[in-house]
Amino acid sequence: MLRWLGTRLLQSMVTGAVAVTLAFFLMRAAPGDPLARLGDDRSITPEQVRALEARYGLDQPVGRQFTTFLVGAFRGDFGVSIEHGRAVSELVIERLPASLLLGATVLLVTFALGSWLGAVQAIRRDSMLDRFLGTASLTAYAMPSFWLGLVLAWIAGVEWRVLPVAGMRDPFLPESATLLERWADVLRHLVLPAFTLACVNIGATMRHQRGAMLEALAQPFVRAARARGLDERRVTWRHGWRNALFPVVTLFGLWLPLLVTGSVFVEKIFAWPGLGALAADAIGARDYPLLMGATILVTTLVIAGGLAADAAYAALDPRVRRP
Amino acid sequence: MRLSRFLTAILLLAPVARGAAQASGGTIVIVTGQQATLPIPTLIEGPAATTANYELADQLFLHLAITAPGRPTAGDAGFIPQLAERWERRDSVTLVFDIDPRARWHDGVPVTARDVVFTFRRARDPKIAPSLSNLLRNVESVTAEGERRVVFRYRSPYSEQLFDAAFYVAPIPAHLLESLPPDSMARSAYARHPVGSGPYRWVRSEPGQFIELAAFDGFHLGRAGTSRMVFRTVTDADARMNLLLGGEGDAMASVIPPLTNRDRIAARGEMRLVTTPSNTVAYLLFNQRAPGDSTRPHPILSDVRVRRALVAGLDRQAMVRTVFGQYARVAYGPASTSLWISALAPKAAPRDLPRARRLLAQAGWRDTDNDGVLDRDGRPLELTVTLPTTSQPRRQMAAQAQEQLRQLGVRLEVQALEGPVWGGRHSSGNFDISFGSATQIPSPSGLSQSWSCRGGTNVARYCNPAVDSLISAAVLSQSNPSPLWREVLRRIEADAPAAFLYAPVNVVAVHRRFERVQLRADSPWLLAHEWRVRRGAALPRDAAR
Repeated sequence: MLRWLGTRLLQSMVTGAVAVTLAFFLMRAAPGDPLARLGDDRSITPEQVRALEARYGLDQPVGRQFTTFLVGAFRGDFGVSIEHGRAVSELVIERLPASLLLGATVLLVTFALGSWLGAVQAIRRDSMLDRFLGTASLTAYAMPSFWLGLVLAWIAGVEWRVLPVAGMRDPFLPESATLLERWADVLRHLVLPAFTLACVNIGATMRHQRGAMLEALAQPFVRAARARGLDERRVTWRHGWRNALFPVVTLFGLWLPLLVTGSVFVEKIFAWPGLGALAADAIGARDYPLLMGATILVTTLVIAGGLAADAAYAALDPRVRRP
Repeated sequence: MRLSRFLTAILLLAPVARGAAQASGGTIVIVTGQQATLPIPTLIEGPAATTANYELADQLFLHLAITAPGRPTAGDAGFIPQLAERWERRDSVTLVFDIDPRARWHDGVPVTARDVVFTFRRARDPKIAPSLSNLLRNVESVTAEGERRVVFRYRSPYSEQLFDAAFYVAPIPAHLLESLPPDSMARSAYARHPVGSGPYRWVRSEPGQFIELAAFDGFHLGRAGTSRMVFRTVTDADARMNLLLGGEGDAMASVIPPLTNRDRIAARGEMRLVTTPSNTVAYLLFNQRAPGDSTRPHPILSDVRVRRALVAGLDRQAMVRTVFGQYARVAYGPASTSLWISALAPKAAPRDLPRARRLLAQAGWRDTDNDGVLDRDGRPLELTVTLPTTSQPRRQMAAQAQEQLRQLGVRLEVQALEGPVWGGRHSSGNFDISFGSATQIPSPSGLSQSWSCRGGTNVARYCNPAVDSLISAAVLSQSNPSPLWREVLRRIEADAPAAFLYAPVNVVAVHRRFERVQLRADSPWLLAHEWRVRRGAALPRDAAR
């Protein structure tokens, strides 16, 4: 197991290095210029633009920029954001908790509820409940998150005014508010973005779980368990559901980056102060240092997610570890 | 038990927080699309030169004086004292300002002449502030005479000396910043908690969410009418409207377009729309040089007859009406509604298709192959207009221009590009027609940047030495420069370096509970410290903190 894990770790590091290198050069190859928007009547001369390019190292050959970036990255210094004028690591760390909170909530709801509902669908195959849940999950899956988000914000925030439509904290929460009240405030703000993302994503989990569960329930070992006279509930959940978890574990690994990136659209619609919106703005502004900082984080998470899923798979199924 | 208390808190938090409305206090929640990152004068440079930074800096830092709305920026009379209580002219190149002895920094230290001298030393250093130093190039020296008196000396006599001293930069506190190397100022503790001399002081910033300011009790021009100001950041336009209509915001600028927002706001009843001149003007900029090659003339647009024909072939009135309704007018020359010289401009000419056809025929463009597109020497009259994808009004208007010019026999391809891509092509002159816009300073002298032969942002290479002379004469004029500026506008309009399309007014949504609402063209919230909550109309968030 350790040898297998070591090999996978090495593969992951190579993948990460390739991804980061590609991202660096593709960003610079893409058309657009971080300083291009400095063109209005209040603007500066071309010489002064060149001085700014020198300040941000944009006047250097791309190869040298890459070397500078790598040296800094190994020291944990990802440079200074062109747009924000602050250290990239500082900005990323500042936005990470919001992203983690939203992402973790959505993953928890999506996988806990999704896998349970998917299993229930499989157990009650072709029943009214199965058809209803199937249609509902497919409908939710087909809805664009930005549209659903806007509709929910309009209904709950504008028409009914029961939930806040933007941000993560109420600026008017009294300073005397207790920790409980502060958490409750964050949760109120979390409801709409988390519900929107969970609605859209839960369908996939349910469908994967339903399919896997149907397959598992048809396996000989399930029949054997029944033949041994085991309780039906135990047969279904302990023998069937446990074995039907593999595809969902894989899906979980693939969705792990959601923890950080959330959904750019949903973060924007609800002004959720996460990394997704920050990275999207950085793309729009061609803020290379910030983009690289976000890219490294997301790449690490994607690879770690894949690795974690593989490890979980290997732990659950010894056949995977065989050479 | 704990869980039930927690759930109860979630459900009841809003009513609890909204429970105790008070008549005193007052809060203005301004909804913006961008969060200020570095709202500190002398540091608002390069990528930090955003509207959000300027608007927040205007609350934290006081200028020596501000322009009086609608008054010429030329001369020494049309200004309102702020940090300076008075000024006088010693000679044609020397202005003397007396700092108001009541002025204090937010930490209680008096504002002195030393602060002004320190600020201008930084602002005039091209290594620290390249843009600002360029704008202040006519200032020769700034010196202190005692604690309260500052002397500005200029390189030559010109009419906007006071404007230059007052508008571009607000003083920053020398006692807190002198020991900081300029390079590290942007990343210092001061940058995270700025101390200024304005009506509001810094309280806190929640990155990506809001910035909170509180009224500065020691503000020498009188404590602000509201005790709190919150800038809430929502980047998505629909989400900004939701925040406003959901009752979580009090004011928002640039509400229109789209025009549908007018009805959405009216339907709620809590908000009203207030208009103020805008410092924006938008135009179809005709490149007079070959795209990407400034050494060769543009094969089509270097001919003034073609440019004039394109302007005459556009129904600019209809375009503006469709997109902005009553909230914009067709621009005559590059004059936004906030520029005082816009009052001198005549009405823009209406569409004149016969004239447009005549001009194109004179330039040799005819439809020889009857395909509906004019041609000359085997080359069709085809042009591409580039615009940023993010601008809905420009996209709408470009589509209208395409159809209107088609009727003239001109094939116009519309190319919507991502912001930085469009910006790169615009600033490098790599376009036929660029749907650009300018955010103008209150002084018409700024026009020289884009519309004079050697202007720093004259990306389309428009050059008329007569216009340059007129601008110089107007800037240097010691008497009323209005006739000169009128002639500048007339000549630019006649040369048709661009089809000047719209000069909008800024439509601002403001909650009805506020009175004494004043909005400024150059910075809409500059006088927000004078707003007050109407008696009996306070909301829970108006409660004193």
